[in-house]
Amino acid sequence: MDDLKIEGSQSTPAIFCDAVHGVVEMRGDSYPENSFELFSPVVAWIERYLRDSGQALMLRLHLLYLNTSSVKIMMDIFDLLNDAHAKGRAVSVHWFYDEQNERVAELAEEFREDCDFPFAISCQADSHA
Amino acid sequence: MREDGELDRRIAALLAEPAWQGHPLRSALAELYGEFGDLVRQLDRIMHISDRFQSVSREQSLSLHERYRKQLRQLEKMARISDRYQLMMRDLNEALKEASLRDVLTGIGNRRMLMERIKSEAARAERTGRPLTVAMVDVDRFKDVNDAYGHEAGDRALVEIARAIRSGIRDYDLCGRWGGEEFMVIMPEVGAGEGLGVVERIRAAVDGLDVYAGGARIALSASFGVAEHRAGTSVAETINRADSALLAAKRSGRNRCEVAA
Repeated sequence: MDDLKIEGSQSTPAIFCDAVHGVVEMRGDSYPENSFELFSPVVAWIERYLRDSGQALMLRLHLLYLNTSSVKIMMDIFDLLNDAHAKGRAVSVHWFYDEQNERVAELAEEFREDCDFPFAISCQADSHA
Repeated sequence: MREDGELDRRIAALLAEPAWQGHPLRSALAELYGEFGDLVRQLDRIMHISDRFQSVSREQSLSLHERYRKQLRQLEKMARISDRYQLMMRDLNEALKEASLRDVLTGIGNRRMLMERIKSEAARAERTGRPLTVAMVDVDRFKDVNDAYGHEAGDRALVEIARAIRSGIRDYDLCGRWGGEEFMVIMPEVGAGEGLGVVERIRAAVDGLDVYAGGARIALSASFGVAEHRAGTSVAETINRADSALLAAKRSGRNRCEVAA
C-alpha cells in the first residue's frame, strides 16, 4: 500500500499517511476552500488501510484551527475509527496541542466525547518540534 | 389461510355423490367451487405479500429514524465544536487588534492608535465645538543616554518616561509612543492653557525620574510642544504646529513646554 503525502499551506494542514508504520499525521490549520476535495483522498486511504491491512492505525494530530467542514470530516474519520475499533482493530488518536493554546485541548476533548477507541490529548511545549 | 369448514365438507360430499353425476347443477357447482378456491389462494398470497411490504417499510422507517437521530446528534456536535473554534478565532482577533495598537516596549498606545484616536477626537471636537489639545513630547538628548549607558538602560528610561506621562494625564486624556523617543498626549475637552498645566506636571515628573544605570542616576528630561486644534484645519496641521512648538522648546534650552501660536 502506498503512502499519501499532501503538502500543507496557510489554509490547509500538511498530511502524511504512512502505510509502513500505520500512522496518519496532520499538522497545521484547516480552512480550505473545498474541504471534501482535500480530505477525500485521506478518508479513502484510511478506509483502504483498515480494509486491506491488519496492522494498527494511529492518528497523530497537530491541528490548530478547523473550519466547519473540516470539523465534519474529522468527525467522519473518527466514526470510521469507531467502526474499526468495534470490529477489534487497534486504532488510536493522539492529539497534540501547544501550551500557548490550551483551548485546542478543550476542542480535542469535544471530539473525543463519542470515541470508544484510545484517544490521548497531550501538551507539547513546541508542537513544531 | 382459510381453513376447511362445514360448507366445504358439504360441497365435497355433494360433488362426490354418484346420484348427482350428470346433473347440470353439479358441474356448475364444481366449476364455481374451483374458481372460489383459486380466489382464496390468490387472496392469501396478496395478504402475505402486503404484510411483507409493511414490515420492510416499517424496518426502513425505523432505520431512517435512527439515522436521522444520529445525524442530528452529529450536526449538533459539529455546530458546537465549530462555534468554539469561531470563538477562539474571535478572541485571538481581539488580542491581535489590542496588540496592534500597543507599543511593545512601554505598553502604552502606539502611533497607529494615536492616529486613530486623534482623528476621532478631532471629528468629535468639530461636531461639538469643544476644544482639543495635543502635545508632542521628545526626550532630551536621548541619543546621549543610549551612548553613555547602553540601549538596555535607554529602554528602561523610555519605560519610566511612558509611566510618568501616563500617571500625569487625566482620565480622559490619552498618551502613546509616537516613535523612537517621541510621545504624544491627546487631551480632549481642554484648550491650550489647561493643556499646558497637564503637560507642565508631566515635564516636572520626567525631570524628577530616578532611573539608574550601573549605580549612576541617568539625568532625564523632555521637551514639550502644545497645540490646540483649530476648527476647520486638518489633524496633520495640528500635529505640525505641536511639532513646531516642540522645536521652539528645544531651541529655548530643552526641559520646557511651548505652546503653538
